[in-house]
Amino acid sequence: MFIKQSKILRNFLVLLVILASFITGCSNKATEQDNASVKDQSKVVTFSMTGDIGDLNPHTYFPNEFFSQAMVYESLVYYGKGGEIQPWLAESWDISKDGKEYVFHLRKDVEFSDDSKFNAAIVKKNFDTILDNRKQHEWVELINQIKNTEALDEYTFKLTLNNSYYPTLQELTYIRPLRFVGEAAFPDSQDTFKDGLKSQIGTGPWVLSEYKKNEFAVFTRNEKYWGTKPKVDKVVVKVITDGESRVLAFEKNELDFIFGNGVISQDSFQFLKDSGKYETKLSEPTATRTLLFNTNKEATKDHKVRLALNYAFNKQAVIDNIFYGMEKKADTLFPPVLEYTKIDINPYDYDVARAEQLLDEAGWKKVEGKPFREKDGKELQLEFLFNSTDNIQKSIAEFVQGDYRKLGIDIKLTSQETNTFWTTAFQGNYDILFTSTWAVPFDPHSYLASITTDSENGGPDYTALLGLPEKKEIDEKIKKVLLTTDEKERKMLYTDILSTLHDRAVYLPISYQSNVAVYHKNISGLDFLPQEAEVPLTTIDVE
Amino acid sequence: MKLKIKMRRMLLKHKLMIISSIIILGMIGLALFASFLAPNDPNFVDIAQKLQGPSSQFPLGTDHLGRCILSRLIFGTQTSLGTAILVMGLMMFISIPLGIFAGFIGGKVDYLFMRICDTLMAFPSFLLSLALVGILGPGLFNLILAMVLVQWVYYARVIRGMVLGVKEQNFIVAAKVCGTPKFIIIMKHILPAIISQVVVLVFMDIGGVILAISSLSFLGLGIQPPEAEWGMMINDSKPFFRNYPSLMLYPGIMIFIVVIAFNLFGEALKDALDIKRVGGGVE
Repeated sequence: MFIKQSKILRNFLVLLVILASFITGCSNKATEQDNASVKDQSKVVTFSMTGDIGDLNPHTYFPNEFFSQAMVYESLVYYGKGGEIQPWLAESWDISKDGKEYVFHLRKDVEFSDDSKFNAAIVKKNFDTILDNRKQHEWVELINQIKNTEALDEYTFKLTLNNSYYPTLQELTYIRPLRFVGEAAFPDSQDTFKDGLKSQIGTGPWVLSEYKKNEFAVFTRNEKYWGTKPKVDKVVVKVITDGESRVLAFEKNELDFIFGNGVISQDSFQFLKDSGKYETKLSEPTATRTLLFNTNKEATKDHKVRLALNYAFNKQAVIDNIFYGMEKKADTLFPPVLEYTKIDINPYDYDVARAEQLLDEAGWKKVEGKPFREKDGKELQLEFLFNSTDNIQKSIAEFVQGDYRKLGIDIKLTSQETNTFWTTAFQGNYDILFTSTWAVPFDPHSYLASITTDSENGGPDYTALLGLPEKKEIDEKIKKVLLTTDEKERKMLYTDILSTLHDRAVYLPISYQSNVAVYHKNISGLDFLPQEAEVPLTTIDVE
Repeated sequence: MKLKIKMRRMLLKHKLMIISSIIILGMIGLALFASFLAPNDPNFVDIAQKLQGPSSQFPLGTDHLGRCILSRLIFGTQTSLGTAILVMGLMMFISIPLGIFAGFIGGKVDYLFMRICDTLMAFPSFLLSLALVGILGPGLFNLILAMVLVQWVYYARVIRGMVLGVKEQNFIVAAKVCGTPKFIIIMKHILPAIISQVVVLVFMDIGGVILAISSLSFLGLGIQPPEAEWGMMINDSKPFFRNYPSLMLYPGIMIFIVVIAFNLFGEALKDALDIKRVGGGVE
């Protein structure tokens, strides 16, 4: 009896000691943190992204994130509000009469973050390394069109093209690949695409100061920045893949704001908005959420099946119940507010009877006692591929699965994280792909250009559309429209291309997506920028 | 015969045993008659009825796609229990013969077998199945495959241990001396001697298997939508847990009850059969 008691007593004492050490340990830590915050008066904002920022090289693609490339590297010209091209690293420019020669007069007060000069020579060097890997950048038609690059004098750079190409300036605003790294960043082989950068030296307002792969990245203000300096000293970007964790981190004050599209679910956004404790904002529509049908697969090769899938999709239900009415219904591949995209078409309105009739006509008939339609003894099963890192795609995918089931279509959902998702998408291993257009300044011309090329950095649309008998014709028209100098003809060709794509029903546009911003009340200046992928970090301020 | 009577008396004595077996039988009943008991089609999506509270049509309300939660819970019994029993059955199918074989033959075969076990057991089992499903790709079949491939070694090892304990006993030695063929010894003498311990082992660990299946489905690696499964239902309710905690609570309670019932049943069975030490594999 006594022994037993003493044992309990001893255990209890041990527990007490452990607990005590925990409590004191925690409190010590807390005071240390307090001291640190008193000493360090610098302004820091923290937010999170779904993936790692990658190696921060403006000349390469995945896993580089657009937003981080835009923080460190800059372009010759800037894509302003409403598509206005503004001077940036180039103060002004002259375009020759035939539209084949562009002469850029560079700013003279720009320095890279390692104090080296920004001049025509380094612009040429950057252009040349990009041109050495033309094939990789095929989706940017400008790069295919460049004939010659020349440094006329220290601050004058000349670009000569094969043909007059109307979106030249617009493509120079792209976040990648036409942005500039400093001399010291070049690898020994001078090939930034294959061998990467030695260090991340850019002209932008931010400099990468601390980085831990898949955990966080810290950017500090570039004190020598030539333009308007950011208001905060430091930006911390945390990697949080899960939307719910992001919301929790935000509520616990670990994040100052949430920004982007698909970063949190619509339900969470609604929840944060309704709580009244935070500020929320929704941008103007940027790109189109759309499904893409793979025209190489047995069922979706059939025009009638694609039409049926279009008719069977209840967009209004998705918008009302999943988006809480926050997004606008999409009937065309591109929002009609962009240039050349306003086309006159008959939208595929929700019509179940029509869809059933079309499926019957296509040979996919209902079988007594079986849940799914069959053709020659084969069930109508479609594989629906979506990105699991996106917090909105899943609920739409599940809704589609449930709704199509009522029509006798079996949807097999496949969710993959970003990297594998794109690999599978480019290989064409799906029937239905959840994708979106690229938003301005890429829409519509660069998006369409990517349809014509199998460049691995373009879009999965090229492979998906290969099964269309009209594919060649469409490609030729897209190639033609890009080089058309006549405004009227260009408009006609765009209308023609977009109408054909609508008519062939290869896309199923759902809604026009927006960027969301949720922030604490002490944050200001979180305004949406013209390019969807840019985060407004220069204007943001914290009290 | 005597043993049987003794066992029955002890089983009845155990209240926990009765309660847990009623729960287990109830669950099995739910699983078998799911299509009769469920008030609605568990996969019928009606987004306009999203996140409704309890009503006469939907006794426990609806989820984020407007599906009946009660129906999904009932059908979830089918997937969760069915998969767990299948996984356990397959594991036993592999580990009983292999464990007996290694234990009975001994020598080099046994040595080789043990090293294989050591290699596989050096990794945490759940992590290893997670990695396997990751490689094979998510899905019910791959989930079962991954779990069986990783965890059979634990059972094989335990069964080998049981065989070693029995092998040197006099009645086996006597059989050997009589020149009984090895196969007959295994079937007639060894298997009956260890089978009760194996049954306890199965019951004690099946709760763990259910938990593992739900965990993998929670991570999106196991059973795929639209099939109803408890782990997946919890995952689906994640975005709503502050406004609609019941969405997460219902499947959580189901998992809790089933796992507890199986564990208690296993414990009680162990006491009843007076088995001193049975080591399980699934944590």
